[in-house]
Amino acid sequence: MSELDCPALKYYDFKPVEHGRVCPRYTAVLGRSDDDGIGIEELDTLQLELETLLSSASRRLRALEEQRQILTDWQDKKVDKRFLKPGKEADLSATPRHSKPKKQKLDGKEYEFNEDPQDMPRNPKNDAPNRFWASVEPYCADITNEEIKVLEELLKPPEDEAEYYKVPALGKHYSQRWAQEDLLEEQRDGARANDKKKGIMGPLSELDAKDVDALLKKSESQHDPPEDGCPFGPLTQRLLQALVEENIISPMEDSPIPDVPGKDSANDGASTSPRSQGKAFSVPHTRSLEARIKEELVSQGLLDTEDRPGTGGDSEDEVLAELHKRQAELKALSAHNRARKQELLRLAKEETRKQELRQRVRVSDNEVMEAFRRIMAARQKKRTPTKKEKDQAWKALKERDSILKLLDG
Amino acid sequence: MTAQVGSKSCVTMALVSADTKISELLTELHQLIKQTQEERSRSEHNLLNIQKTHERMQTENKTSPYYRTKLRGLYTTAKADAEAECSILRHALDKIAEIKSLLEERRIAAKMAGVYSDSDPPRKTMRRGVLMTLLQQSAMTLPLWIGKPGDSPPPLCGAMPASSDYVAKPGDKVAARVKAVDGDEQWILAEVVSYSHSTNKYEVDDIDEEGKERHTLSRRRIIPLPQWKANPETDPEALFSKDQLVLALYPQTTCFYRALIHTPPHRPQDDYSVLFEDTSYADGYSPPLNVAQRYVVACKENKKK
Repeated sequence: MSELDCPALKYYDFKPVEHGRVCPRYTAVLGRSDDDGIGIEELDTLQLELETLLSSASRRLRALEEQRQILTDWQDKKVDKRFLKPGKEADLSATPRHSKPKKQKLDGKEYEFNEDPQDMPRNPKNDAPNRFWASVEPYCADITNEEIKVLEELLKPPEDEAEYYKVPALGKHYSQRWAQEDLLEEQRDGARANDKKKGIMGPLSELDAKDVDALLKKSESQHDPPEDGCPFGPLTQRLLQALVEENIISPMEDSPIPDVPGKDSANDGASTSPRSQGKAFSVPHTRSLEARIKEELVSQGLLDTEDRPGTGGDSEDEVLAELHKRQAELKALSAHNRARKQELLRLAKEETRKQELRQRVRVSDNEVMEAFRRIMAARQKKRTPTKKEKDQAWKALKERDSILKLLDG
Repeated sequence: MTAQVGSKSCVTMALVSADTKISELLTELHQLIKQTQEERSRSEHNLLNIQKTHERMQTENKTSPYYRTKLRGLYTTAKADAEAECSILRHALDKIAEIKSLLEERRIAAKMAGVYSDSDPPRKTMRRGVLMTLLQQSAMTLPLWIGKPGDSPPPLCGAMPASSDYVAKPGDKVAARVKAVDGDEQWILAEVVSYSHSTNKYEVDDIDEEGKERHTLSRRRIIPLPQWKANPETDPEALFSKDQLVLALYPQTTCFYRALIHTPPHRPQDDYSVLFEDTSYADGYSPPLNVAQRYVVACKENKKK
């Protein structure tokens, strides 16, 4: 009996609106003759009442369509009436559309929007999460062999490393070089001027670089000795000065006075050497003398060995000091970098080892699941799992455990 | 009637011709209403029949194939009747909308020309109470959107937002965000004067002080008000739902404030009940106040804050 009853049927109350009660203006307008018509001031109220009527009629229309569909479905197939409901909703829209061409007018107003309701910017597509994960991906991805290769490549010392630790030889002093350059330039200018004036004078003006050097040397040799007036080396002079008594100068002034006894001989010697003999005085072995004196002084412990002044000279060379400083810095930095790279390589290698293990864990996970499925299948068929299946399951489990232990260790 | 309407405003020839048109339309409307009633009486008989059949089926407490077939037949007829009735009702409502738009056009034209008809007294002299009544009236008569089965509510129906390229027409009411004298930003009720496509800016008049304050605002600062009421009985999805943040016109003012929906309307002519954000109350919200569908719009700011 109950099967016959249609449970979805709602027996709606389709009573129409009592317009006499609910819509007084509407009723009043109905009673009027054509001549009386409607006033503008009545429009608002009429609109509301007509809307009420329309709303009720539309509701009735929907309900009728729903109930009618239920009846139809129920007649067609008596089972599963209720499940048909959702599908029916879709049909609902199709049927009444044709029956009302008159609504076109109102549609006209909303025409432009009705065309594409999907275009309404309600939910703009948000791809920010995807972009975020894409940016994070490289930091979480597995380490590949290529990356390790790159690291190893980086660890090799660069070929040009030695280049940076070289100390280039000290060149000519800039004052000399500049002097030479200036002279050359002037000669060239002069030659050009001469060329213009007298072509014949050409050979005379053609002084080349050798001549310049010679000229410079000549000027140097001319300049140096007068500065000092002494052919002896600095050590020789110092030694001599140390040996000669200090008051030597005052007696020299009164040298014409002969009555200073005991000092005459010394005076004479001193007076003759620098002054009287002057420039004509030339000593042949000044250089070797200087060297021997130095040697002797060093061996006597009166003078430090040569390298001391050497380092002293270095410290005076600002450029060299700076170069050494920078090289030291570079050395420290590259050593630090190397240590970091080595550490990174070690970690990367360790990680790849772990990755391999994880890969194996995944494989063995699958194996375990496979075994589990097989046993479950057996159980569903109400038979005890075979020994083979059990063994496989145990094997898979044990393997997985061992790998996990490795991974933890 | 025609004579009366004509005498009300014969300021210009254009207005007169508009008046003739309006009176014609009113006659048509009258006819349509009469037809509506004919349609309704026709279907009434059938509906009565359905009711009787229902009663009989329910007393017998079973559904015999005979009744099923009979009921199906009755339903089909009633459905056709209802469709016809809806159609003619829509037609009548369209007529009303047409007349109203003509009246509105006339009002704007008159305003532009600086001429005011008797039926539309100059706003400058309007008292606040009158303005409030007018606003309420226009909210009440905002057309109700009643879709045919399967139609989904269009943009600007209830809570449905306007499409992104929507441009409000002159005379449309909008919520406009303006800077007040003290520098505060406020959403006011305004009427569109014009829209410039080159600058994407609206010119709007403050509804409260028409003519005194004209604002030029970028379209971001304009929210068009709904052009249809959503029908809670048929399209509840086109209404704001409870606790949703909205901008609502505070009763007896012409300003929109942030509010939460307390209860959505249940019937077409019902208003929203909203709780305004109000720090003078202990819980930060005013007690529930009624605001018409027309004056409740989505609050754009909720994303920022």
